[in-house]
Amino acid sequence: MNWLSRFFPAQPRLTPAQAQRLAAWQALPAADLHLAHAQSRYVVVDVETSGLNLAKDHLIAIGAVAVRAGKIDLADSLEIVLQQKQASSRDNILIHGIGGTAQEEGVQPVEALLLFLAYLGKSPLIAFHVEFDETMIRRALKRKIGLDFKHPWVDLAYIAPALHPDLARRYRALDDWTNYFGIRNYARHNALADALSTAQLFLALRERMAKKTIESYKELQDLDKAQRWVNRIG
Amino acid sequence: MATAANSLIHATAEHLSSHAPFDQMEREHVLWMAQRLELGYYAKGEVVLSPEQGTADKFYVIKQGVVQGEQDVVRAQEDAAWLELHEGECFPLGALLSKRPVTGIYRARDDVFCYELPAEDFLQLTHLSAAFHDFCTRRIANLLEQSKHIIQAQYSHSSAEQQSMSSPLSAIIRREPVTCSPATPVREVLETMHALGIGSMVATDSGNRPVGIFTLHDVLNRVALAQLDLNLPVSSVMSSNLKTLPPQALAYEAALEMARHGFRHVLVTQNGGLAGIISEKDLFTLQRVGLRQISSAIRNADNLDALKQSARDIRQLAHNMMAQGVAPEQLTQIISTLNDLLTARIIELECTAADLTDSSLCHAGFCWIALGSEGRFEQTLNTDQDNGIIFLVPDGASPDQVRQTLLPVARRINEALDACGFPLCTGNIMASNPELCLSLDEWKEKFAKWIDHGDPPALLNATIFFDFRALFGLSSLAEKLRLWLAKHVEGNSRFLHQMAANALRNRPPLGLVRDFSLGDDNTLDLKLNGISPFVDAARIFSLATGGLQTGTLQRLRQAAAPLHLPPREAEAWGEAFLFIQLLRLRLHHEQIEAGLPMSNKVNPGQLNNLDRRILKEAFRQARKLQARLALNYNL
Repeated sequence: MNWLSRFFPAQPRLTPAQAQRLAAWQALPAADLHLAHAQSRYVVVDVETSGLNLAKDHLIAIGAVAVRAGKIDLADSLEIVLQQKQASSRDNILIHGIGGTAQEEGVQPVEALLLFLAYLGKSPLIAFHVEFDETMIRRALKRKIGLDFKHPWVDLAYIAPALHPDLARRYRALDDWTNYFGIRNYARHNALADALSTAQLFLALRERMAKKTIESYKELQDLDKAQRWVNRIG
Repeated sequence: MATAANSLIHATAEHLSSHAPFDQMEREHVLWMAQRLELGYYAKGEVVLSPEQGTADKFYVIKQGVVQGEQDVVRAQEDAAWLELHEGECFPLGALLSKRPVTGIYRARDDVFCYELPAEDFLQLTHLSAAFHDFCTRRIANLLEQSKHIIQAQYSHSSAEQQSMSSPLSAIIRREPVTCSPATPVREVLETMHALGIGSMVATDSGNRPVGIFTLHDVLNRVALAQLDLNLPVSSVMSSNLKTLPPQALAYEAALEMARHGFRHVLVTQNGGLAGIISEKDLFTLQRVGLRQISSAIRNADNLDALKQSARDIRQLAHNMMAQGVAPEQLTQIISTLNDLLTARIIELECTAADLTDSSLCHAGFCWIALGSEGRFEQTLNTDQDNGIIFLVPDGASPDQVRQTLLPVARRINEALDACGFPLCTGNIMASNPELCLSLDEWKEKFAKWIDHGDPPALLNATIFFDFRALFGLSSLAEKLRLWLAKHVEGNSRFLHQMAANALRNRPPLGLVRDFSLGDDNTLDLKLNGISPFVDAARIFSLATGGLQTGTLQRLRQAAAPLHLPPREAEAWGEAFLFIQLLRLRLHHEQIEAGLPMSNKVNPGQLNNLDRRILKEAFRQARKLQARLALNYNL
């Protein structure tokens, strides 16, 4: 029985109220990805974790801000620190600045993730280096509330070089791109501040998108895909 | 979704709070604002805001980057930014408060991120936060002056005089302000002012906050003429209508305030407390150098080339003074004074060249008269010549003989004036016209004929010729003609009635539906539609009351009492007249700068909104003035 549980982890236990919230989120209609940017709400997300190991490390904080009709809506933003049983390592704390006490006082994980879903709705997601954010969020959702999170994501780490091929070789990290556009970050490695920088980067890429007539999220996804392919063969 | 303020909202509030006016606002109000902001991006060269977008619906604060304002599309192609806005600066204020489109184009000069607040939230914020409200209304006052500021920015390239007008008031305050309590008896105030040799005294409350000002100027009206009991407290005679500016405001702002409100003093206050007084004189000393230099250059000029240079200098001076916001009344007076000097020097030189000085017709034997706007001391920069000669006829000579001697000289004078930038009169209203080079008796005869006929050409002539004044030579001749005219017209109600009817044919161009009623080319003629109603009415009032003045303002002031015109109304008419005059001066300057032919046509759509509002008000005043004229003559 014991060895089996490694393959079938215990189903997370949700209160009826929590289960209802989850069901309500699941019942939301999917976003129409063909809508124009001007009619869409995108959520730009960034996470802080206990480390960079996708297999072992876990979610500490989620920061997110909405881009609605091409503008960042500052109030439509989310910042959640997840309660940790055990604070992350000292070196890790020095990166994201969420101290041990804050981690221990954070929002209970199930609650935190349900808040995130309620905030997100079915708006498509945008991030920089999606693999990392997506993996962390998906795993947390799976483990904590049993949700199989299949959500549209677009990765600016592919979109930016696709729109600025001349810069693609030299610009790789988020900092490279934000520096290029002169975007300042009020608190680097704070999930919300990084989400804001990412959102600003997304806005700054808009001019090139317009030139390539990339007018919907769907077209962004296509561009994302194409660039991954370019990277693979290049 | 207004969530509780998270770190992003706090960081935004903090960022805002490092800039004016948000640094003055209470934290909760800045947070309130931050929670309602959007963040927008504008690529280099992209238009952030333009008149075409209609009524301004957002308040912008620059998060990063530079936004430049351009006054109009034509100029936008060149490097003609009239304002540059940097991080933390906000726009537009005037358009939002008056719920109208912006008048210029705001364009991103590099990658720009702007915080954007919806208009209704902006308005609510002005109610919530007193500090924000103050900032906006003060900025509005500045925007009201922005027409002037814009010009200042355009004109402010080199001149050192200019720089001094850009110095902060704190640098100009000459001494600690002398103050008294509002309860101080007038006698004591006058004694202190006399003892210290100061022109004004500010009454302050116990917190050193100014509550009123009493100036030497008030002594005449409110104390001496009113035979005031000197034991009364100064609060009974002081003006409590005060204009205050902070120490960091610039000298020209003070000049503009004075020009706009007709104040002679501006108080400098810091945190409500009095820090100093700036008088008109303090400001004027900043800009007088040029005036003195030019007048002495004219007096010493001994050839036409030197005078041509002086004529250019006069224009440059006018240009500078306009940029500095000198009041139009002073400005036109200064221009007139210098132009008079220049004209007089030309006449002197030509008379000497023609050897007239030695003949019996030496220049003391005739009087050069200025007509039209020059006669009214209301010359702008595109004034062509309007002049004539009144001469004495020596015993044994005929008027024709004198005329034949004078005409060639007059011709040369007219040409010299033309060379100095006063174009020859296309209507030939010039001293070299034999019809206008007349003896005193011939002039009287001419005027009498017009007054008797009262037909349209005669009425038109009256509007030009009845504004004559002596400019050079035997001024007693002009005075005699003036007295004769005053006596001749004053009792002639039929002629005055005809003049009034004629004047009322020219209505101010105010529309019923839209702001202005415009011609086919969408323009207003500032001279015909703007100035003329005032000038014409003032002339009639003056003639009707035996006035001897020629200036429109002087005429209105003189006629106010005998005609029982309410002083406040007469004052408002004067201000309206001056504002239109200022617009004309500016228009001409812009035309000179652009190398365009000068005209009085202005497209109100291209004026900035505030000027447009004032212009509309000025036209309303013209309408009131005409109503008064109609009333007086049963028209």
